[in-house]
Amino acid sequence: MTDSTPPLIDARDLSFTVGTAGGPVNILRGVSLTIRPGESVGIVGPSGSGKTTLLMLLAGLERATGGALRVAGLDLGALDEDALARFRRDRLGIVFQAFHLIPTMTALENVAVPLEFAGRRDAFDRAAAALQSVGLGHRLDHYPGQLSGGEQQRVALARAIVGEPQLILADEPTGNLDRGNGTAVMDLLFGLQRDSGTTLLLITHDAALAARCARQIRIEDGRIASDSAVLAEAA
Amino acid sequence: MIEGAALGARGTLGLAWRLARRELRGGFAGLRIVIACLALGVAAIAAVGTLRAATEAGLAEDASRLLGGDLEIRSTYQPLPPEGRAWIAARGGRLSEVVQMRAMAIGPSGERSLVELKAVDGAYPLYGALVLDPPVPQGGLMPGGLMPGGLMMDRSIVERLGLKPGDEVRIGEARFPLRAVIVTEPDKVATPAIFGPRAMIPLADVERTALIQPGSMVAYEYRVALPAGADARGFAAALRTQPFADGGWRIRVADQAAPSVTRFVDQAASFLVLAGLTALLVGGIGVATGVRAWLEARARTIATLRCLGAPANLIFATYFAQVMVLAAIGIGIGLVAGYALTWAAASALAGALPVPPRLGLYPWPLALAAIYGLLTALAFSLWPLGRARDIPGAALFRTGLAAPTVRPRLSLVAANAAAALALVGLVVATADRPMFAAWFCLGALATLGMFRLGASLLMAAARAMPRLRMPSVRLGLANLHRPGAPTPIMLVALGIGLTTLAAVAMIEGNLRRQIAESLPEAAPSFYFIDIQADQAEAFDATARALPGVTEVERVPSLRARIVAVDGVPVEQMVVSPETAWALRGDRGLTYTAKMPEGTRLVAGAWWPEEYAGPPLVSFDAGLAAGWGLQLGGTITVNVLGRDIELKVASLRDVAWRSLGINFTLVASPGLLSSAPHTNIATVRNAPGQDTAVLRALTDAFPNISGIRVRDALEAVASLLGRLGTALSSTAAVTLLAGMLVLAGAVAAGQARRVRDAVVLKTVGALRSQIRAAYLVEFGVLGLASGLLAAVAGTIAAWGVVRFVMHADWVFLPGTLASVVGLCLLLTLGFGYVGTSLALRARPAPLLRNE
Ligand SMILES: Nc1ncnc2c1ncn2[C@@H]1O[C@H](COP(=O)(O)OP(=O)(O)O)[C@@H](O)[C@H]1O
Ligand SMILES: [Mg+2]
Repeated sequence: MTDSTPPLIDARDLSFTVGTAGGPVNILRGVSLTIRPGESVGIVGPSGSGKTTLLMLLAGLERATGGALRVAGLDLGALDEDALARFRRDRLGIVFQAFHLIPTMTALENVAVPLEFAGRRDAFDRAAAALQSVGLGHRLDHYPGQLSGGEQQRVALARAIVGEPQLILADEPTGNLDRGNGTAVMDLLFGLQRDSGTTLLLITHDAALAARCARQIRIEDGRIASDSAVLAEAA
Repeated sequence: MIEGAALGARGTLGLAWRLARRELRGGFAGLRIVIACLALGVAAIAAVGTLRAATEAGLAEDASRLLGGDLEIRSTYQPLPPEGRAWIAARGGRLSEVVQMRAMAIGPSGERSLVELKAVDGAYPLYGALVLDPPVPQGGLMPGGLMPGGLMMDRSIVERLGLKPGDEVRIGEARFPLRAVIVTEPDKVATPAIFGPRAMIPLADVERTALIQPGSMVAYEYRVALPAGADARGFAAALRTQPFADGGWRIRVADQAAPSVTRFVDQAASFLVLAGLTALLVGGIGVATGVRAWLEARARTIATLRCLGAPANLIFATYFAQVMVLAAIGIGIGLVAGYALTWAAASALAGALPVPPRLGLYPWPLALAAIYGLLTALAFSLWPLGRARDIPGAALFRTGLAAPTVRPRLSLVAANAAAALALVGLVVATADRPMFAAWFCLGALATLGMFRLGASLLMAAARAMPRLRMPSVRLGLANLHRPGAPTPIMLVALGIGLTTLAAVAMIEGNLRRQIAESLPEAAPSFYFIDIQADQAEAFDATARALPGVTEVERVPSLRARIVAVDGVPVEQMVVSPETAWALRGDRGLTYTAKMPEGTRLVAGAWWPEEYAGPPLVSFDAGLAAGWGLQLGGTITVNVLGRDIELKVASLRDVAWRSLGINFTLVASPGLLSSAPHTNIATVRNAPGQDTAVLRALTDAFPNISGIRVRDALEAVASLLGRLGTALSSTAAVTLLAGMLVLAGAVAAGQARRVRDAVVLKTVGALRSQIRAAYLVEFGVLGLASGLLAAVAGTIAAWGVVRFVMHADWVFLPGTLASVVGLCLLLTLGFGYVGTSLALRARPAPLLRNE
């Protein structure tokens, strides 16, 4: 980790405030964070501390109300909605706790869709290969409703990696799965990350899972409470 | 167990009702579409029915005024003999004589126009009042307000001829000062002025015009006011048996309320009712889908009830009660709206209705509309309700996949079929033309089936489609066949509405086109009538010598009343409804030795040119078929008071559309040539020469009247146009119902659309790509239903034009293209709105939940 490589994520004093009936609520209060390419980062913190919100900001699905955010060299605050979509399409893979597959599309279609929109001719071949790599080569034409939770999450995983993104964002990907399925999905995720050198940002409740990441960040009440990289530097 | 046993049928109903009320209290958002769909259809039917009842009440109310008397005797060519007058007077009848004919009215400027001339005696009008402008002062005038020697005319012709009061107008050989403008003619409904505006002169002056000559087309009408309490039908029957009575008479009684007008109202109304029924049919589809979606949303509740031990009948009764309550609300709204709509329609149609409708509350049409609504609600909700009845409690423990499709039990299927059959039965039984109504039902069913099949084919085609490289197109097409895709309902809902619109547009277009727009190449410019035998040669010569005249054709013309066919008097004949018109009133009759050019013989042969035997006739093949008349059969006609038996020698296809001289009856010469008669001629002239030709010929022959073909057609076209407007508006109601169902389907899929759009955006789809995908989906849907509607609408219109209206069919690609285009626009519009709303949704809240 030399300082010469530009950071993949560079967040400065990010804040996110929403107005509610009971007055403004500060969900993120000045988060600064630098993540370099190839890192694997586990984000932990109590429920409601702002982890998912941070992920939404990093994915360009919400806009920060304060601070500056560059991801893969792009100033997300300056991009319009379509540019953000292109950014996600070309650089990002996201895995949600609730999978968020399109229920009326088959597994294959769900995985191929991002490549299709990117104009890739080999969208379906690559999607099939991706599903193969997550062990679902025999379930290509199944609809999400016909798959178990673990299988659905593996489809979501395949969708996240099929475009060979620079960054994978995963928000409690095993939260809806039993232990066995959860472990299988996580093994896959870490294996993929290791093999391709992708940057991984994993939000989780599970301290053991977070420990499998090279770096851990703890968020509490909208702020970074601790960061293992900073600790290591300080040490 | 004991409790369950104690819960009898009444207990079940009571409990079901309590459960239903409890659920309804929570609102009925999902069933609003059911209410709206039923309300729309019921409103259309209630409005048409009420308008019809109100119009007929208006006709009945003023029957005597409209007819001009309690009784009317109409005789062509010949006046009533003095014995007849004496007979009527002896029985206390007051008589008024009216003589009608067509004539040219020529203003001081030489400007001229055909008029429907009515010469009336001092007793006119027996009922009602002739309203004139300026009003004729009381006293010093003839009874009834007519001034001797005076002329009264409709405002339209006064304006056309540029007349001032006192100006002299020449009619035939006589000159009349214009006294007043006719504001209201009390008996106009029963004796309408068809070919031109009305002109009225005193009967005493008719002689001076010299228009009445042997064989002239003159109708003598005798209106009789009977003493109070007298029986008009009995009077008419007794009259018929008198020795002076004439087989050629047409006797009308007032309480038949101007039957031809009533018939017209009935027929127009039954078309409108059918159009209203299509709206209800589309509404029914809305009911079915609305109920199904609503029950699906309640599947968990139902499964829970099942787990708690609720019997299937209780569940059925609970949801049935709710649907019926909402159906009742929808029907109620529909009745009120339809009733209100009647007044709007009455004022919109004011010009097309024969009399001002008598606005009031008519319970029967409203009840009928309500029954239609109820049967529709039943026919379209029993199936989904029956399926809900059998949702197993185990469904509660299955997630993700939709509940398995169960078929309702047999008794419910039977009840459903019964409701549908009752609906069809009611449509047919209450129709003015049951056959046509039956065809309509069959057609509606076939159309429904066609669209459902079309939807299946479309989905299969979308599935079989090779994977396209354009992601938006691939996605849009794939959306058509995804599990739970609303393709069938959208296609059917939109399609039925559009089919109705397409059919009506094509029927209207066909009539309009045949009448006004595309005059056949061969159409003449003028008809000239009342050409006397001794004027015939001179007329031909004069006409041919006129500049611009390219063709003059002239044939003898008689008016004949058919009194018997194959020896059976017309009153006893059983004929098809489409051909009954030809037995009423006079028919044109001509004679010729040579077969006219362009004649299309269907059966038999033309008589030899030198034929001199007993009279033969060549008859209209269509009428013959409707009357069961064969070659060799006989038609007895009354000409100038004399009965003549004609033997059918051949049958012809009469091409009415050519607008040449067409006669229902073409006889062999001989016997008829000696009867006094006039000639009728057609003249073709270069465009722009009309005025000059009319002037020259009517100046040369003052007793001859010229009818400009274009004017006559335009008069008919404008009447049809107003009818067409009424039909189109009813068709528009159907389309509205279709749009309602479509909007419902789009709204029902909106949550799915929003969720999909969010996920697609998250994985990197651009807004334009998502929008394009949805527009492809909606566009293909719109195109498919538009094309199918074009096919179905064309078939329906063809059937109506060809077999109901007996007109020639013209395919109108432009009209059809606009229907398909409209369909495309509509669906794309709905799709665009739905998609734009979906794209506006912020992704984060949707992604963060669960
Ligand atoms: N749009 C919003 N409006 C109001 N409160 C919100 C909104 N989004 C998130 N929150 C609140 O912000 C806090 C942080 O949420 P989240 O980022 O989901 O936390 P975590 O993922 O760490 O559990 C929670 O209390 C949540 O209820
Ligand atoms: Mg979270």
